[in-house]
Amino acid sequence: MFRYLAKRTATYLLMIFLTTSAGYFLAVSTLQPALLEQERIPRPTPEQVANSFRLKGLDPTLSPWERYIDWLTAIVTRWDWGRSPNGALINAEFGDRVWISTRLFLAAVVLTLIIGVALGVYTAARQYKFQDRVITSYSYLAYIIPAPIAYFLVQLGAINLNDTVGERIFFVTGISTPGLDGGAWVRFVDMLAHYAVPTLAITLVGWGTYQIAQRQYLLDNVNADFVRTARAKGLTRNQAITRHALRVSFIPVAQSIAFTIPAIFAGGFFAEKIFAWPGVGSWSIDAIALQDVNAATATLAYGSVIFAIGAILADFATTLVDPRVRVQ
Amino acid sequence: MSGGASNAVLSVRDLNVRFNSEDGVVHAVRGCGFDILPGKTLGIVGESGSGKSVTALAAMGLLPETAEVTGSVRLDGKELLGLSDKAMCRHRGNDIAMVFQDPLSSLTPVYSVGQQIIEALRIHHPGMSKQAMAARAVELLSMVGVPGPRDRLKAFPHEFSGGMRQRVLIAIAMANNPRVLIADEPTTALDVTIQAQVLEVLHTAQDETGAAVVMITHDLGVVAGMADDVVVMYAGKPVETGSAEDIYYNPRMPYTMGLLGAVPRVDVADKASLVPIDGIPPNLVRPPAGCSFAPRCPLAEEACLQGEPELLPVGGPEESGALPGSGAHQAACIRTDAVGPGVDVHELFHAPPVPVSCFDAVPRQERRTVLELRDVRKHFPLTKGSLIKRRIGTVRAVDGLSFDIREGECFSIVGESGCGKTTTLLEIMEFNKDQDGEVAIGGLSNKAASDARTRGAMRRELQMVFQDPTGALDPRFTVFEVLSEPLENAGMAKPAVRKRIMELMELVGLQPDHVNRFPNQFSGGQRQRIGIARALAVNPRLVVLDEPVSALDVSVQAGIINLLDKLRAELGLSYLMVAHDLSVVRHISNRVAVMYAGKIVEIGHVDTVFDHPRHPYTRALLSAIPVPDPRLERTRERIILRGDLPSPLDAPRGCNFATRCPVFAALPAAKQEKCLTAVPPLGPEAGLQAGERAAGPDQQFACFFPDGEIDADMLVFHEASDLPDLRSTTPRTEKMKGTP
Repeated sequence: MFRYLAKRTATYLLMIFLTTSAGYFLAVSTLQPALLEQERIPRPTPEQVANSFRLKGLDPTLSPWERYIDWLTAIVTRWDWGRSPNGALINAEFGDRVWISTRLFLAAVVLTLIIGVALGVYTAARQYKFQDRVITSYSYLAYIIPAPIAYFLVQLGAINLNDTVGERIFFVTGISTPGLDGGAWVRFVDMLAHYAVPTLAITLVGWGTYQIAQRQYLLDNVNADFVRTARAKGLTRNQAITRHALRVSFIPVAQSIAFTIPAIFAGGFFAEKIFAWPGVGSWSIDAIALQDVNAATATLAYGSVIFAIGAILADFATTLVDPRVRVQ
Repeated sequence: MSGGASNAVLSVRDLNVRFNSEDGVVHAVRGCGFDILPGKTLGIVGESGSGKSVTALAAMGLLPETAEVTGSVRLDGKELLGLSDKAMCRHRGNDIAMVFQDPLSSLTPVYSVGQQIIEALRIHHPGMSKQAMAARAVELLSMVGVPGPRDRLKAFPHEFSGGMRQRVLIAIAMANNPRVLIADEPTTALDVTIQAQVLEVLHTAQDETGAAVVMITHDLGVVAGMADDVVVMYAGKPVETGSAEDIYYNPRMPYTMGLLGAVPRVDVADKASLVPIDGIPPNLVRPPAGCSFAPRCPLAEEACLQGEPELLPVGGPEESGALPGSGAHQAACIRTDAVGPGVDVHELFHAPPVPVSCFDAVPRQERRTVLELRDVRKHFPLTKGSLIKRRIGTVRAVDGLSFDIREGECFSIVGESGCGKTTTLLEIMEFNKDQDGEVAIGGLSNKAASDARTRGAMRRELQMVFQDPTGALDPRFTVFEVLSEPLENAGMAKPAVRKRIMELMELVGLQPDHVNRFPNQFSGGQRQRIGIARALAVNPRLVVLDEPVSALDVSVQAGIINLLDKLRAELGLSYLMVAHDLSVVRHISNRVAVMYAGKIVEIGHVDTVFDHPRHPYTRALLSAIPVPDPRLERTRERIILRGDLPSPLDAPRGCNFATRCPVFAALPAAKQEKCLTAVPPLGPEAGLQAGERAAGPDQQFACFFPDGEIDADMLVFHEASDLPDLRSTTPRTEKMKGTP
């Protein structure tokens, strides 16, 4: 098992290296931060711009290949991912952003999975009954509505609630109240008030996918031959389904879960923008807008790493629930 | 049967099952009733849709909730129908257990075999200790002949072959020593040699527990060997019941008679046509007004349409009061007097005369060769690794095959699944000049098939009929489009195409005005006829038949076999057939090749090979096929091969059958050496005892020790329970021993 994981890890490291390098070349040959500098008032001279960029390691006069070698050497020798055109260190910025994204999505993802899978099982057991129709229709609706609109609706709901009560219970944007004084309890309540709305919004939009998938896979297995065998042994229908069909139906779901977790961490652009949590997702878009070569490449590299972790997690999850793919 | 024997362990009375469907209420079982005595076996036979499986599922309480079940199912006098799912669970798997058809999908893939057996124990004996349950699981696995039971407990279902999985399912069913075991087509998905093993296991299990067995099958041969009593079902109703002997030797219902006449026999050389039963079973959405079989019955008269006949005791004084309760011979037919042992079933059902081909009189050597294979090989590399593929072995799917087919003859290849039959067909259809070995079709060799024209010419010489008639026809093509495609492809003009299609429809026995229908408007047998017409459209000389009748019911199968026989004679066709049913092969073929692990082990004239098989594999294969004749079946010796086909990874150096060979096992070590080191060549008389028995002129085999003595452990026969004078000194069952 360990050898297998090590082998997979090596393969993914190679893939990460290749995508990141390709991404760097693409960024370095298309993004031109010097053009943005031209819009400054007073307008700097081209010599000033070139000079300032050279000091930040963003010399536009060097060829892409030379810049790539410099960039790579810095990462390999000093783990230094370079600077933004405004001089900010990527390493420092990056840590903050990842932590913000993680905090924004962690609770929401866990809730999404638990609620989605549980409702999937619940509805599959009540196929075509009232509860199933309501829940599954909702899931399809959540599927169809664009995420930003759904987030706005949740925000509006929270604002309405605040207005009705006449007191601000929930914050609809931001991470925490700046300059808040008080003990741990006050800060904890403040955090909850900031957390509640985005978590609720992401969860409400997210669990539909898992509910539909889990319901479908379980229904595929409810009438399987092995469930009939289990019933012939003396299990009731519900026992046979929970003990035999459920685990088999969870195999494909486990795989899709492992793949979606990282996708959310790396790319929750809409949620980050709408709730004003400056995480990795919004950073990657901003980096392109600001012609920031190093930041754009760093977010790309982060995306690849997260994806590789997801793929390994998916392998791991599948091996855990399915003995047929267990490796010797 | 009629009165209800008081000691019956399971008695079913007036069982009715209705399903709601889009077309209306389907009355799938319409008044089924039977009794089973402890330790006895009841066979329920019938074609698909006759309601036999639904009856079993109703008794087990496993039908979907939407099914409406009425009547009575009593287990030891206790009514089972109407029990809740929970109450029924106390009986299911405890007093009444079931084995299902498809062993591959009937075990939960994510639990080990041991967990699944132990679950069956724990449900009914919650107090049992872990050690006791594990010990019982090992005991069960060794009873059903799973080798190395202690280690195999931890194995998962995918690590078992189909036959082994069916053994595990039998072990699960027998776990709590049920009073009744229902086996629903337990061997239909298995190869014949594995079928023989599994039937042996069922025998053993029944002997050890004294359970009553309900054997549901469409295979009249399997029933003949297993059943004491037989119920024949048709359109959801039993139409004839009685002891196995009554049913097989004295059928009194035209349907039973037709069914028996429709089955080809592997042990009879006699070339009579099979009995076709025209038409299809009635649609059970509309209950039949009269006898449900009347529309297909040659004896039907006005009175048959006036109300459905009841099951009534048949016949003269010799039957009356012969057996109390179950086993009494009854038939649901008002014309039982017109049917009986004296009536010739061929005459009754107007079976066609045996067709005579103009080639039959010409000696084989003087006929033209239609297809010739010389040393054809197909090896697949077995590789490991994802980026860099490492070759770790070779699968010799086809390993040096040579044979020829002459004009007007039917040549069949038989063997178990995985022996290379289908790969051989695919290699023949390939027309690739880079192929290993030479394939010559009508004098055109694949070595010369470099341009599309030659390949087109070869393709016209040879056409194919596929196994699954439904899958082989485009559902969105009308029959006309299906048939016109090859003709237009061959460059035929529009009016000529139309004329040829009408001809073809008539030729295969379809109504020409049905050409504008879609395949789904035809029955399975009719679809196969369309498939045959499509193959014949371009006037090929050789037709390749890949399991042409295995997807069809017995009565329909007979019609197709007769049609193929007729076409061969009338059109002077040659057939290359691949089939696993050796009875069909014997009936239709002139020559036969037996394949094992990619090689031909025996080849020759069909009667010579079947009546005097020389190779131990052929002998085992033939002995494993059940014959629809209870007396013969119960006294027949049977060679039970051990294990499954060898894995291609550890292919033996010498004879590749040595690992399972019953002759090899009985040989002294000195002689075994030869089998293990040298590959026996295919030849007329390779054995040592040359001249001892003159081999037929057309028979070759690949064995150093033909006609060798069979290892006693692999030889099994059963004492016929109602023929006590036969072999009364032998033990009741020689138990099969698992492979060490």
